[in-house]
Amino acid sequence: MFLVHTPLSNMAACTSRVREMMGLLRILRHFPQNERLLSTSILRHAAASDGPPKFTPPTKPVIIDKTQKEASLRRFLSPEFIPPRQRTNPVKFSVERKDMIQRRKVLNIPEFYVGSILAVAMTDPHVNGNLNRFVGICIQRSGKGLGATFILRNVVDGQGVEICYELYNPRMRKIEVLKLEKRLDDNLMYLRDALPEYSSFNFDMQPVHYEITGDVPVSPLKVKMKPKPWSKRWERPKFNIKGIRFDLCLTLEMMEHAQKWAEPWRPYDMLKEYDTFSLEEQIFKEVQGKSQNVNSP
Amino acid sequence: MTALTCRFIKLADGLLRGAQVTVCRVGAALQRAPVIQCIRTHRTNTWWDEHLTEDNASFLKKVVTEEYKQQTTDKLNPLKDEPWPRHEWAEGSRRVGLVAVKLGMMPVWTKSGERHVVTMLQVQDCHVVKHLSKEEYNGRTAALIVGGKNISPFHRPEGYLEVFRNAGVPPKQKLTTFCVSDNAIIKPGTPLYAAHFCPGQYVDVTAKTIGKGFQGVMKRWGFKGQPASHGQTKTHRRPGSLGPGGDPAKVFKGKKMPGRMGNIYDTNHGLKVWRVNTKYNILYINGSVPGHRNCLVKVRDSILPTRLENNKNPPFPTFFADGDKELPEDLFDEDMFQFGQPMPE
Repeated sequence: MFLVHTPLSNMAACTSRVREMMGLLRILRHFPQNERLLSTSILRHAAASDGPPKFTPPTKPVIIDKTQKEASLRRFLSPEFIPPRQRTNPVKFSVERKDMIQRRKVLNIPEFYVGSILAVAMTDPHVNGNLNRFVGICIQRSGKGLGATFILRNVVDGQGVEICYELYNPRMRKIEVLKLEKRLDDNLMYLRDALPEYSSFNFDMQPVHYEITGDVPVSPLKVKMKPKPWSKRWERPKFNIKGIRFDLCLTLEMMEHAQKWAEPWRPYDMLKEYDTFSLEEQIFKEVQGKSQNVNSP
Repeated sequence: MTALTCRFIKLADGLLRGAQVTVCRVGAALQRAPVIQCIRTHRTNTWWDEHLTEDNASFLKKVVTEEYKQQTTDKLNPLKDEPWPRHEWAEGSRRVGLVAVKLGMMPVWTKSGERHVVTMLQVQDCHVVKHLSKEEYNGRTAALIVGGKNISPFHRPEGYLEVFRNAGVPPKQKLTTFCVSDNAIIKPGTPLYAAHFCPGQYVDVTAKTIGKGFQGVMKRWGFKGQPASHGQTKTHRRPGSLGPGGDPAKVFKGKKMPGRMGNIYDTNHGLKVWRVNTKYNILYINGSVPGHRNCLVKVRDSILPTRLENNKNPPFPTFFADGDKELPEDLFDEDMFQFGQPMPE
């Protein structure tokens, strides 16, 4: 199995041709003989056969063939797989993980972060067509194990709506990522006190293409807030928010006053240390090993 | 296990016993009469007080682990060592229960989409340890003593370990008694598994509740307390009145007052078994169960009269892993949604 990614500049010139080639390549995928040779020759043919006679050097496609697949693809382990730091028997986590992997074999739960825009379809007995679809920005992902949840926020007819969905609920039919991106914070609860334009997304929004290699794009968007009072004092250092334009809504004195609640010893607190590196490696291998049929593109 | 005891000795034989002892002289320095001295000693009855060398200690540990592994494997096949006769289940017969470890909780969904929470109880090394006949126990029913999790023998007194040696079973952390009808007695040494319970039946779970220490009346008994403002002077969480006035002129016995809360045995009745995992011996039981995580609980068939129909025809007297009947890894209740199955409507 391999994929070919052509740089964006070429896409406009030979989109249709490349699409045909992609179709061919998908068929050729099943013959893993000389994957590299096949793809380069085909693309050179595509680039040279159309457009002016000016010599364009052949593009070097980024090939991800089977041997390199694991390294170049983004390694993502959903946060609900990582067990919390508790005195629980690890047997409990492994049994729960088996259930989660079984569920993932049936329903594709894509990779998403706080700040990505998702469309979720749940079965609902009270809706005519049986499916209840909601589009929103993910503002929080919480819970571990089977009870993992995420909250989607949107503004519908001027009313802000937040719905908390369970990832492993059997009524969940489809989770689609419309736009994959990260924000400056892990928790976007402050969108409740931000101007409504930052939380409104069109229900008919089309999915935006995203790369499966490399880093997730981090949106540097800083949000403008409604006038105070807010639901929480977001300027305080305990929330550690980087995605708000404090300079527009707070004076320097207010910012300094908020620093009174700073706890500068927190990053050095050894009791709060939780190193999950080795755990993550092990769980990633387990998840990858068992759910091969879902992960293949 | 050591116990502090007091030993009275005469001053004449005053050889002190080492660093553990404190001597309190009762001001009799001047008089020459024999004075009784009170020495604190440690009455010890476990292995470690023999002051073994390091080599001996590690050797003992190794030997003991092997011995217990051997004992467990010996008992795995109850058919081999003259088992007691097995009878069929009849109405009104009571069978044994299990001792399990509380692992944690997780959500579970029914086929109609309702969400329930379950507690996971793992049956770790559960063996029947002793049989008490009707006469020995209380004159009405026979009893079976069942033991839970394996522990090391080095920190338990000799008397405690003797029971297990007679049954040929490694020593257990928790021992409980189950009142059993005569057709359900099992030979001591038989292992008990989670498949003893079927999904869909109801159980009662007993365990020691989490100790909360000395607690006030609002947390301990659920009193309402007093308002936070509107003139209340220093009275927000107090019990208020202690009873009627001059006629009894006393406080009745059993009046709810602040005190130590928790760390007592409590039972939750009528909990449904949703799922049984035969590979890891885990029971998935509806709702919550008293006790903290990793505590030992006693599980038995429910005695609630409305749930007796669900408990009909269980594996009687228990589930024997004889090898002829292979159970699937997971047994589910009919209502429960299984993750591998197609999604319900």
